[in-house]
Amino acid sequence: MSVISVSHLTKRYGQVLAVDDLSFDVHPGKVTGFLGPNGAGKTTTLKILLGLAAPTSGSATIGGAEYRRLPDPMRQVGAALDSDTFHPGRSASQHLKVTATAAGIPHRRVGEVLDQVGLAGAAGRRVGGYSLGMRQRLSLASALLGDPGVLILDEPLNGLDPEGIHWMRGLLRSFAADGRTVLVSSHLLTEVAQTVDEVIVLAKGRLMAETTLADLTERSSVTRARTTDATRLADVLLAAGIQVRVVDGTTVEARGTDGDTIGLAAASAGLPILELSRHDEGLETLFFEMVNDRPEAAA
Amino acid sequence: MNATLRLARAEFRKLFTTLAVPVAAALAAVLTVGSVLIDAAVAGKPGQYALGSAEETYKMLKFGPVVVVAMLILGILAAGGEFRHRTIVPALLATPQRARVFAVKVAVIALFGAVFAAVIFGLGLGTVAGVLAAHGFHHLPAATGRMYLGTVIAGACFGMIGVAVGALTRNTVVAIVAAVGWALFVEVITLGTVAPSLAKWLPVGASIGLTNPPAAGVLAPAAAGAVLAGYAVAMLAVASRTTIRRDVG
Repeated sequence: MSVISVSHLTKRYGQVLAVDDLSFDVHPGKVTGFLGPNGAGKTTTLKILLGLAAPTSGSATIGGAEYRRLPDPMRQVGAALDSDTFHPGRSASQHLKVTATAAGIPHRRVGEVLDQVGLAGAAGRRVGGYSLGMRQRLSLASALLGDPGVLILDEPLNGLDPEGIHWMRGLLRSFAADGRTVLVSSHLLTEVAQTVDEVIVLAKGRLMAETTLADLTERSSVTRARTTDATRLADVLLAAGIQVRVVDGTTVEARGTDGDTIGLAAASAGLPILELSRHDEGLETLFFEMVNDRPEAAA
Repeated sequence: MNATLRLARAEFRKLFTTLAVPVAAALAAVLTVGSVLIDAAVAGKPGQYALGSAEETYKMLKFGPVVVVAMLILGILAAGGEFRHRTIVPALLATPQRARVFAVKVAVIALFGAVFAAVIFGLGLGTVAGVLAAHGFHHLPAATGRMYLGTVIAGACFGMIGVAVGALTRNTVVAIVAAVGWALFVEVITLGTVAPSLAKWLPVGASIGLTNPPAAGVLAPAAAGAVLAGYAVAMLAVASRTTIRRDVG
């Protein structure tokens, strides 16, 4: 059963279509990566999900309800949208106590979450003097205050050093292992790839892919075949439901398949295979093709 | 504890965890006490009322401008600051019901404005009484109590007007410059000179009817209070509509 459900969500800002008929589900017990380049509509989608922006049409719910209708929102959902939502004149402790007071969360949680994110020693310092990484940790602490079952983080790895990234990965994985729901947005696939189980890929406000990381990884490998008539071979492969791209008059590249399948398809069309090779383009290349409207990559 | 009370406690916590309130209070205190001492020092000189006269004492008790400007700025910072520093995001994540968040902020600032005005006026009144007593005068003029109450009401109203201006502009620097500029240069200096019969119906002009002794050309206190409250309510109504509907973050 999905915990986060986005259904035919559309958001327009004047003439700009920021989110275009977007639908996806996020399930508990997994870390789900919400991926896409800058400007893809990820943050806009998250803001609508958290009640900070209104949709033009469609819906975005958590546990079946809009955020503003949740009876105890911060105990159910922890969210960190960016690291720039603090008054520079307040200390971390003061900021979290303001939030805890408004949300009805006991103040003892302030010390607990600051300790959890490694900011206990800087709790009394003004946030204006914090580094980006410290503000990122404080943002996460605020999200963890209510010990929520759902965690929604927008670009949480920004500003973290390698040790911080390693720590964050461990935290997110343990959160998911507890059966909770984790949705992490990022434009950096290679960093998030080591953390997530499932991915939702967005580009220009539209859904490009909703699949597992394992499937995405498999799709990133490409089999290249050289023959006498690349266009005919491509037609045969497409008819068989295989994603294929014609590189030039004699070469095709196919994703999500193997040399045996291509060889048999070529034989059925009476085409010789002059060269067959397989290589891994890497998730990043696949991602780049996906978000730049290469349909063979997104299918 | 119910959600509204929790919100109110959080709003008070916000007020007292930045430097704005202590700095405003310190400046207001210095200006209040300082103005009394300066007035006392020049009393009786050519062109000035004698110390101990009702006119001179009323002049010393005019603490309205300090309270009005201080609460206008604090109200702007309380609302506009949430957008400037984007603390509106955690505020709405904790309490997604925007109308409640806005209403509680207004109520807290109004209450704070009343208390702030009461404290500043009380400090000034104590200073005036001390100065007068030191010169053998042991009475205060008849309208002192009414001026005290009027200043408290003006403090509450200008706090609310500040919240409305801050929420509408969402840029604290522009809001403060525009609001203080309007109050001082447009209302007091310009309109107060060239069109006093119009100026008395504007916010600062109305507050003069509340915080000053009876005089020709100013509104009676009850009318002044109603006009000022009307401005606060109208501006808050506009500000609340935009705040509740706007996308944030």
